[in-house]
Amino acid sequence: MNSTTDRQAAAAIPGSQAGGWRAVAPLAVILAYLAATAYVAQSDLGLQNLVLVAAVFGILAISLDLVAGMLGLYSLGQGGFFGIGAYATTILANDYGWNVYGLLVLVLVAAGLVGVAVGAMSLRVSGLYFAITTFIFTLVLTVLATDMVNVTGGLQGLLGPAFPDFPSGLRWLGSPLVWCTMAGLLLCLVLVWNIRHSPFYPILLSIRDAEPFAEAAGARTAAIKVGVFGVSAAMAGGAGWLFSFLGVVSPSQFDWSVSLNVLVMVLIGGINTTIGPVIGAMFVSMFPNVVNINPWLQEIVYGALSILAITLLPDGVVGVVKRLLAPLIGGAAPVTGIVTIEEPSATAIVPAPAIPSTGSEIVVECRGIEFGYGLGPKVLRNVDLAVQRGHIHGLIGPNGSGKSTLANVISGRLTPHAGQVLVKGTRVDGMPASSRSKLGLRRTFQAAQLVKELTPTQNVMVGLFDRVPRIVGRAAFWPMLASGRRDMAAMHRRSAETLALVGAGEWTSRQVGDVPHGIEQLTQLASVCVAGPDVIVLDEPATGLSAKEVRHLATILANLKSQGVTMIIIEHQTRFLFPLCDRVTVLNAGEVILTGSADEVRADPVVRQVYLGE
Amino acid sequence: MLQFLLSGIAIGSIYGLIGMALAISFYVTRIINFAQGQLMMVTVMITAELVSSGYPVWLAAAAGLAASCIIGVLSYLIAVRPILLSNRFSFGWLVSTLGFAVIVENAAAYVWGPTSQAFPPILNNISVPIGNAVLTGQQLLAIATAAILAAGFEIVRRYTLFGKLGMATAADPEMASAIGANTTVVAIVAFAVSAAFAGIAGLLIGPTTFANPYLGDTFGTYGFIAMMIGGGTERPIAAMFGGLVLGVCAEGANGLINSQASDWFPFIVLVVILIVSPKGLFSASNPLFRPRRPAAASR
Amino acid sequence: MNEQSSPVLEISSLSAGYGRFDVVRDIGLSVGKGEAVALLGPNGAGKTTVLRAIMGLVKQRRGLVRIGATNVSDLPTHRIARGLAAIAPEGRRLFLDQSVEDNLLLGALHLRRDQARVERLLTSVYDLFPVLRNYRHRLSSFLSGGEQQMVAIGRMLMSDPEIMLLDEPSVALSPVAVDIVVKAMLELRKRGASLLLVEQRIDVATRVCDRLYVMTHGEIVEEMTPDTVRAGGMSILSKYLG
Repeated sequence: MNSTTDRQAAAAIPGSQAGGWRAVAPLAVILAYLAATAYVAQSDLGLQNLVLVAAVFGILAISLDLVAGMLGLYSLGQGGFFGIGAYATTILANDYGWNVYGLLVLVLVAAGLVGVAVGAMSLRVSGLYFAITTFIFTLVLTVLATDMVNVTGGLQGLLGPAFPDFPSGLRWLGSPLVWCTMAGLLLCLVLVWNIRHSPFYPILLSIRDAEPFAEAAGARTAAIKVGVFGVSAAMAGGAGWLFSFLGVVSPSQFDWSVSLNVLVMVLIGGINTTIGPVIGAMFVSMFPNVVNINPWLQEIVYGALSILAITLLPDGVVGVVKRLLAPLIGGAAPVTGIVTIEEPSATAIVPAPAIPSTGSEIVVECRGIEFGYGLGPKVLRNVDLAVQRGHIHGLIGPNGSGKSTLANVISGRLTPHAGQVLVKGTRVDGMPASSRSKLGLRRTFQAAQLVKELTPTQNVMVGLFDRVPRIVGRAAFWPMLASGRRDMAAMHRRSAETLALVGAGEWTSRQVGDVPHGIEQLTQLASVCVAGPDVIVLDEPATGLSAKEVRHLATILANLKSQGVTMIIIEHQTRFLFPLCDRVTVLNAGEVILTGSADEVRADPVVRQVYLGE
Repeated sequence: MLQFLLSGIAIGSIYGLIGMALAISFYVTRIINFAQGQLMMVTVMITAELVSSGYPVWLAAAAGLAASCIIGVLSYLIAVRPILLSNRFSFGWLVSTLGFAVIVENAAAYVWGPTSQAFPPILNNISVPIGNAVLTGQQLLAIATAAILAAGFEIVRRYTLFGKLGMATAADPEMASAIGANTTVVAIVAFAVSAAFAGIAGLLIGPTTFANPYLGDTFGTYGFIAMMIGGGTERPIAAMFGGLVLGVCAEGANGLINSQASDWFPFIVLVVILIVSPKGLFSASNPLFRPRRPAAASR
Repeated sequence: MNEQSSPVLEISSLSAGYGRFDVVRDIGLSVGKGEAVALLGPNGAGKTTVLRAIMGLVKQRRGLVRIGATNVSDLPTHRIARGLAAIAPEGRRLFLDQSVEDNLLLGALHLRRDQARVERLLTSVYDLFPVLRNYRHRLSSFLSGGEQQMVAIGRMLMSDPEIMLLDEPSVALSPVAVDIVVKAMLELRKRGASLLLVEQRIDVATRVCDRLYVMTHGEIVEEMTPDTVRAGGMSILSKYLG
C-alpha cells in the first residue's frame, strides 16, 4: 500500500498530500456500488426491473455523452445501435440458439463497425446536420424492424431470450441479470472515468472546441472522431444486448424518440460529466414509476419538468451541484483586469529543438502560392517566401492582405490552389495539418484556440499529443496503468514548467475561460513550446496584450530564438516586431511587395504609404 | 399510374405544408420545432370539438387555426427563446421543444381521450374524375391550398419588405437588429405563420384521418422528412417540393410494391437523396448549416 | 469646426466588454454636429467595441451614451437603429442573398411609412455612388469588395441617422476603392453628416476627420487634430500604432 501511495501521490494532480485518500476513495465507492447491487439482486422483481431499466438507459446515456459531451457530436443514432444489439441478440439466441455471451462479443463488434461506418458517412457534416443524419439512420432501422415481420415480429416484437442462471454455487448472489447489468454499467463508468483522467481527454475536448488547435498539435481529428463514435456505438449495442433480456423487444423501443430521450437524459443530468448521464437516465426512466398518476397527466408533468430543467439548469443536475460545491472545494475568485507578469529570469530555458541549427538552411519555403476562398477573388497571388533556420521572419501588411491565410496555408489548414510549401525540404502542401507537427512545425492562432473549460496546464498538454506514445490506445485504462500514471505526471510537470517559463505559472489550475486574454495567449505559446518545435508560426501573438505583456512576450521569443527555433510572426505592432526580426515580408492585397531587413522595410516608401501611413 | 401520381401529390401537399411549417420556424431561429406536428393536431382537435358542439365548420376551423397559432407562439416564448438567449449554440431546444410536444399531445389525450373522433368531411364526399383517375374534392382542395400557400409565402418572402426583413433576420440577426428590426417580433410572427401552415395541413387531412391526439407524431415525422428531402432548411419552399416527392414515392410504393411499402420506401428515398446531396434535393447547397458565429469582434 | 455647442454624440465613462472583463474602460468622447471624428489604434484596442456599444450590440455596457437629446444607454439596438445611429460594420455584413436595392431599402426600415423620404434617400445614395444605380437589382454577393462597402455605407445612410458609425471602411480594399470611399465620406461631410470613423490607416483618418482619438488597451490615450499630426504628432501616433 505504501509503495503505491508514493506513485499515486506523484500522479495526483495539484494538492498531492491527499494521495492516500485518493487511493481509498474509489475502492470505497466501488464497494458501496457492489453492496447496492447485491441488495437489488436479492430484492423483489419490481425494484429489480426499475433498476435494470435505469441501468440499461444509463449505459445508453453514457455512450451518447462520450460523443456528445467530449466531442460535440450530438448523435441521434444511439437508438439505432441499441436496436441492433437487442434484435441481433434476440433473433440469434432464440432462432439459432447462439450462446448469449458469444453474442455479446458479436454485438459489440457489429454495432461498433456499423458505428464507424455511420460516423464516417455523417462526419462530412457537423453540428445539427450530424444529428439529423444519425437521426435518419435510426429512423430507417426502426422502419426495417417494423416491416420485416418474418424476422422481427413487426410491431408486436419478439420475446427476448432468458438470461442464463448462475452456476449452483453462486445462486446465493440473487439475480444474475442484475449483477451482469450493474457490472456493465460499472465498466462503462470506469471507462469514461479513465478517459476523463487521461491525457486523451484534453485532446477530445480540443477537437470539440478548437479543432484547428488539436490538428496543429498532430491529432488526426477525423480518425479520432470516427473511432470514438465506434466505441460509443458498441456501448449502445451492448446496452441493447442487456435490454433483450428484460422482456419484449419491439420497434417502439428503439425509434427516434428513444434517441431523443437519451439526449434528454444526458442534458438533464449534465453533459460531459461522468455521473450526470446516469442521473438523467434514472430520472427519465424511473419517473413514470415514481410519479403514479393518470398516465397523460404524468407525461404532461414530465414534459414540463424537462422544459424547466433545460431552461433553469442549462448545465444539468451535475453542473448545478458542481457550481454549488465549487466555493466549498476552494479556488479563489478570479482576478479581473490586467495581470502583472514577473519578467522571466535570464536563465529561462525553453525546451530545445531536436536538431541543432546548421548554417543558413531554408526551413520553410513557399513557392508561387495562389489561394482564394470559394469562387471569390484570389486572396494570395504568387506568394514566395523563404525562411532561414534560426531566423525570426516577420509578416506584416494591412488587414485583409492575406497574412493569416498564408499562415493557414503554411500550417496546413488550407490547401493552396497552386504553388508549393516546403518544410525542411519536404513538400507538405496536400498533407493534412496534423502530419506537419511531426516535422516540428507548430502554430498559434490569432483568436486563441483553447478549451475554455480546462486549465491552462491541460491545454498545454494537448501540445504533447504526438510526443507521448499511444495516448489513444491507453486512454481507456490510463489511471490503472503504471506507465499511464507515470506519463501523466511527467506531462503534467512538463506542461506546468513550460507555463512557468512563459510567465503564466500562477494560472495553471484555473479554467482558461477565467484567465485574462494575455494569459490565453501565453498558454497558446506554451502549448506550442512544450513540444520543442523547430518552427513556430505565430499569428498576431501580441494582439490585445498590454505594453508590459508585449515586452514580456518579446523576451520569450528572443529566448526561443537563442534556442535555435525558427519563427514566422504575423503582427501589426511593428514596434514590437521589428527589433525581433531578421527578415520582414510585407504583403498587400495578396501579393508580396517587399522582403528585407526591418530597416529596409521601414524605409521603403511604398510600405510607408500602404501600411505604416505617410 | 395517374392515380398514384395524383393521390401522391395530394398527400404530398400535406406533408409539404408541414415541412414548410418546420422550415419557416427553422429559417428564422435555426432550431427545429419538434412540437410542429402537435400544432397541426391542435387545429384538428379544436375544429372537431367545435363542429360536434354545433358550430359551423368555417368558424370552427378559424378557431382551430387561431388556437394553433397561439400555441405556436407560446412554444417559441416558452421552449425556444429562453434557450437561445442563454446559449445560441446549445442543443437545449431539442429537449424543450420535445417537452412542449409531449405536453400538448398528452393534454389533448387527457381532454379528448386517446381515441379518434369524428371530423367534418368538408369536401371529402365529392369525387372528381380526372382522366382515368379519381380524386376527392378534399384532395383537390389540398393541392390547390398547398400551391397557393407555397407560392404566396415565396412571394411575400421575396417581394415584400417584411419578407425581406425575414430573410435578413435569418441571414444575420445581429445586423438585422442594427437596421432597426425587432428580431423577437420577427420570430413570433414566423412561429405564428408556421403554426398556421401546420394547422391548415390539419384541416386538409382531418376528414381522412379523423381527429386523434397522436396525429402529430406521424405527420410531424413526415413533415420533417419532406423538409430534409427538399432541403427546406435553406429555402422553406423547397420543403413543399420535398413533400410532393415524398407523397408520390409513398403512394407509388404502396400501389406498385405492396401495401406496406409506403412505410419504408420513403426512407430509402431519403437516404439515397441525403447520400447524393446532403443538403436536400432543392437546396442551393451553401453550408448555412453550421451554426453561424457572429463575426469575431476586434477588441 | 471644433466642439459645437450641443454634440450629436456624447459618451462619458463608458465601459463595455464581453464575458468576464471589459474590453473598453471608462471612455469619454464626443462628436459635434457636422463633425467627423476618428478613433485610431492598433488591433485589439477596443475601437470596434466602442461602436458596437453605441449601437447597443454589446450587452455588457455601463456609462452614458447620448445621441442628440436621447439617452440611449439602456435602449435596445433596434430602437437606437431607428434614426439615432446607424453603422457600416466591420466586415460590411450585407444581406448577401438579397439585391443591392433591397439591402438599401432594409436600411430605411423605420421610414417605411414615409415612401417619399425613402425615395429621396435612395436617390441620394445613388447620387453618392452612381455605380450602385446600375447594379441595383444585382445580388449583393456578386459585388466586389469596394462595391459592397458602398452598399454598406449606403444602407447606413438610408436610415437617415443623427450619427453615422463607420468601422474600418478602408479594410481590404484596393487603393482606388479606398479613394472612392474617402471621397464619399468627404461628400457626406459636405452634406452635413456627423461621422465617427474607426480606422487603422492614419492617412484616411487625417483626410476625412476634424479630430482624432487614439485608443490602446481599451482606453483613449491621446486626442489630436490632423494639423498636430502633420506638425510632428506623427511620432506620437506611431508610438501607439507601431
